Amino acid sequence: MNNNSNKMFFLFILFFSTLISISSNSWFGCWIGLEINLLSFIPLISNSKNLLSVETSLKYFLTQSLASINFLFMILIKFSLLKNFNMNNIISIMMNSSLLMKMGSAPFHFWFPNIVEGLSWMNNFMLMTWQKISPMILLSYYFNKNFLIFMIITNLIIGSLGGLNQTSLRKLLAFSSINNLGWMIFSIMISENLWLFYFLIYSMMISMMISLFFLMNMYFMNQLFINNMNFFIKLNLLINFLSLGGLPPFMGFMPKWIIINFLLINKFYFLTFIFMMTSLIIIYYYIRIIYSSFMFNYFKMKWVNLLMKNNMSLINLSSFISISSMILSTFIFM
Amino acid sequence: MLIYDIWFLFIYMFFVGNLIFVSKNKHLLVVLLSLEFIVLSIFFFFLVLLMFIDYDMYMLMVFLVFSVCEGSLGLSILVSMIRSHGNDYFQSFSML
Repeated sequence: MNNNSNKMFFLFILFFSTLISISSNSWFGCWIGLEINLLSFIPLISNSKNLLSVETSLKYFLTQSLASINFLFMILIKFSLLKNFNMNNIISIMMNSSLLMKMGSAPFHFWFPNIVEGLSWMNNFMLMTWQKISPMILLSYYFNKNFLIFMIITNLIIGSLGGLNQTSLRKLLAFSSINNLGWMIFSIMISENLWLFYFLIYSMMISMMISLFFLMNMYFMNQLFINNMNFFIKLNLLINFLSLGGLPPFMGFMPKWIIINFLLINKFYFLTFIFMMTSLIIIYYYIRIIYSSFMFNYFKMKWVNLLMKNNMSLINLSSFISISSMILSTFIFM
Repeated sequence: MLIYDIWFLFIYMFFVGNLIFVSKNKHLLVVLLSLEFIVLSIFFFFLVLLMFIDYDMYMLMVFLVFSVCEGSLGLSILVSMIRSHGNDYFQSFSML
């Protein structure tokens, strides 16, 4: 039912909808872009022969349509009141809440791990990266600083503590995505360029991880130990996980470093403390996975031999980028 | 803007629609109906707002087109659910 030409068509409209939403000069155009986004994403994820994907697309539809209808109502209330351009009022709280529900950020995150559990890896990649763009940019147009700082703290804590008890790789990446949303929302409050930088590096890291899991068809954590994996694939997994957690010599440290720099310049000391501590918890559970994958070898089955001759160059390239890009990026200024 | 009482009607309709949406229902169709009720309240709100701008109703038509698209998408998901599960009860969700 879902062949490639269908997918291309809906993907094209998906990309176009984000462009409509972020380049419109009225709030109503933004709402239209969000609606078209929903309309074109649902056919990509629904497949009526599978019980799981029907339930997934239903949950996605319900939450996203509620959020965009609420967004429109708040736009109309803002339009009818007309008197203030002040950003720190209750209308901005309601508009920001509906956009946060669209993104899957805490405290409106309960649909996100469920839906991520029901989608394939490619659909997850679309959900985690591209679907965050237009709510983020709309958030930057009219945000309430105090409300968003509170939401950032909630995001960080839920993203880090929620992932501690997961065995499914998709849910793990979902909670990691919620945590990274906290960093991204703060970077929006500073400047949009900084958000773009963080977002590009984050989507590059997520794409490396998801392509690895997709090629090896891995959905759960026990599949990391049971398979007879090549050492280089495990090394690539280690590098990507540590890069996602934000450890220094890897690529993922650079955007977090810049955000911490801005945090300290603007004297957000308590917020810096929360950013640091939740990053520690996330790195803890990444290392727990990788440690088991490296040290323990449950089975050495002769017939499950993952030959990845055609794809080794991609893995080597992604490891090289993750290790060296932070140091190479300083060579720009020479 | 001589009459301010009309705003209370829109906000009341909107909140009641939201309340039914988030309540525990037996059927999925009730949730989709509440979504259409919220759309109706926004339609009314739009109508009154645009009446104060020299009766310029074109935006209302654009809004109507998009909400109808969204409603039909909801119905198609309902149909897909009935095809696979056999009914539209919320209790038949056991996977996620």
